[in-house]
Amino acid sequence: MSFKLTTITLLALSLYGVSARADDDANTPMLSFSGYGTLGVAHSSENKADFNSSYFKPNGAGYSHSWSADVDSLIAGQVMANLTSQLTAVLQVVSEQNYDNTYRPHVEWANIKYQLTPDFSMRVGRIVLPVFLVSDSRKVGYANPWVRTPGEVYRVLPVSNSDGIDASYRVRIGEFTNTVQGIYGQNEIDLPSGGGTAKAKDVWGISYTGEVGAATAHLSYLQSNATVDAYKPLFDGFRQFGAEGIALADKYDLSKTHVSFISLGAMYDPGGWFAMSEWCNLDSKIETLRRSAWYASGGYRIDNFTPYLTYARVKADVNPSDPGLNVSALPPSQAGFAAALNAGLSAVLRTISAQKTISIGGRWDFMKNADIKLQFDHTRIDAGSNGSLINTQPGFQTGGKVNVFSATIDFVF
Amino acid sequence: MKRTMSLKNCVHLIVIGLALSLRAGAAVAEVVAVVSARNPVTATLSNNQVVDIFLGKASRFPDGSQAVPIDQSEGSAVRDEFYLKFTGKSPAQIKAHWSKIIFTGRGRPPREVTNSIEVKKLLAKDPNAIGYIEQSLVDSSVKVLLAQ
Repeated sequence: MSFKLTTITLLALSLYGVSARADDDANTPMLSFSGYGTLGVAHSSENKADFNSSYFKPNGAGYSHSWSADVDSLIAGQVMANLTSQLTAVLQVVSEQNYDNTYRPHVEWANIKYQLTPDFSMRVGRIVLPVFLVSDSRKVGYANPWVRTPGEVYRVLPVSNSDGIDASYRVRIGEFTNTVQGIYGQNEIDLPSGGGTAKAKDVWGISYTGEVGAATAHLSYLQSNATVDAYKPLFDGFRQFGAEGIALADKYDLSKTHVSFISLGAMYDPGGWFAMSEWCNLDSKIETLRRSAWYASGGYRIDNFTPYLTYARVKADVNPSDPGLNVSALPPSQAGFAAALNAGLSAVLRTISAQKTISIGGRWDFMKNADIKLQFDHTRIDAGSNGSLINTQPGFQTGGKVNVFSATIDFVF
Repeated sequence: MKRTMSLKNCVHLIVIGLALSLRAGAAVAEVVAVVSARNPVTATLSNNQVVDIFLGKASRFPDGSQAVPIDQSEGSAVRDEFYLKFTGKSPAQIKAHWSKIIFTGRGRPPREVTNSIEVKKLLAKDPNAIGYIEQSLVDSSVKVLLAQ
């Protein structure tokens, strides 16, 4: 279904693209091309694990590379077509490090928008999930004050798009602009390191954005049925051990579950400075998935230079360790298998990110359409957790401290 | 006592001097938001209402009629002055604002023309258009919305 929708949109885009011609009346080009990108390097003080910017990347800075260009670098191209005054189509393709360590481009958005009135529109295709204040531009470095969106919050819901439909309605009351958006769709994404596929079905959500002058407030709710195949064998294994095993599986099995997500955000940006904060919470029957996170960030603009400071925190609602099955009570023929399952469970629990980060950085708008950013992150990982680090090696200590230094150039064209 | 007074005066002079030079540096020319003289909008729009039309947050005038913003070329002094004065934002910040909107396909920045004469020509053709020009170019063909 998701494949079909995208294919149909692509097909429609290319068909209209062929017949595109200049619209002399509105004097606007029928087809417009634009793009954005980031070139960056990152270095991590922890060399027994990898730091990266997304769950969908297989490695990063630290263990795999002393300096990694994969953490933040990406390039994206976009074609927008005005088919009629009410109908527009957009196709955006992004090349960034994929789950399989390639830079094969993927379709970020591909949708057709029908503008019924200047304030009411509907879209079909691959659409942004409007869950955070800067969901729309989480990959557009140039549009954001930081090197990357605060991971503690933005990685709680790492998926950026969904295949389906949305409707957006804007009402202006005095100087208040109110936008309500509803979305329905699904998403499928490949995970690195043999993690298989993560699927989200029956994704539906609603979001509200209120704007007045330099202030913006954002509220969103989303829910979905999620499956992650990679964890299935582990928890199926637990279920073979009677009531004790079933209880553990029911508590932690994140291979198939229902999740709900809520977020709140506010931003004030009068030009000379900015302040913004977001809070979010992911809830599920499965303890492994429950977490809440927030950040606060502010910056001050001095000509073309914008220094900023961010504090971010993610808390998991689960004990980072569990003894698992009682191996000593089992016959020797089963004890080995049970011990292996327990080890698997411990490994899963350690990957649940719980940490706090303080970031200090600066953006320099050194030329038209481009900026340079430097950022230093100091992260303290909660006891028993790997934090957001991956590829942990023998000797890695959970609950440690990590410093990350990043330098990027962002551009738009 | 006398000495501190003169020091204070000195500081005052420096502050005034600085303020004057900053003002001279920033204000290339007075920029005003204008619509066609034929546009029925009579009430003066607030600063926020003008800004929202140019930043794509509002598509209508307060009376409900459609508003079509006309921008001037990127890098032109009148454009930079308009956005600095009305939004407090630099050209890079305005560019970043549009990057957010463009790269989700939610919209596009206003149509651009090369100078204030062209803005006036468009306003004459389209009563729904809204632009900004130098105060010195205001004539009977346009209505000033907001003279700050």
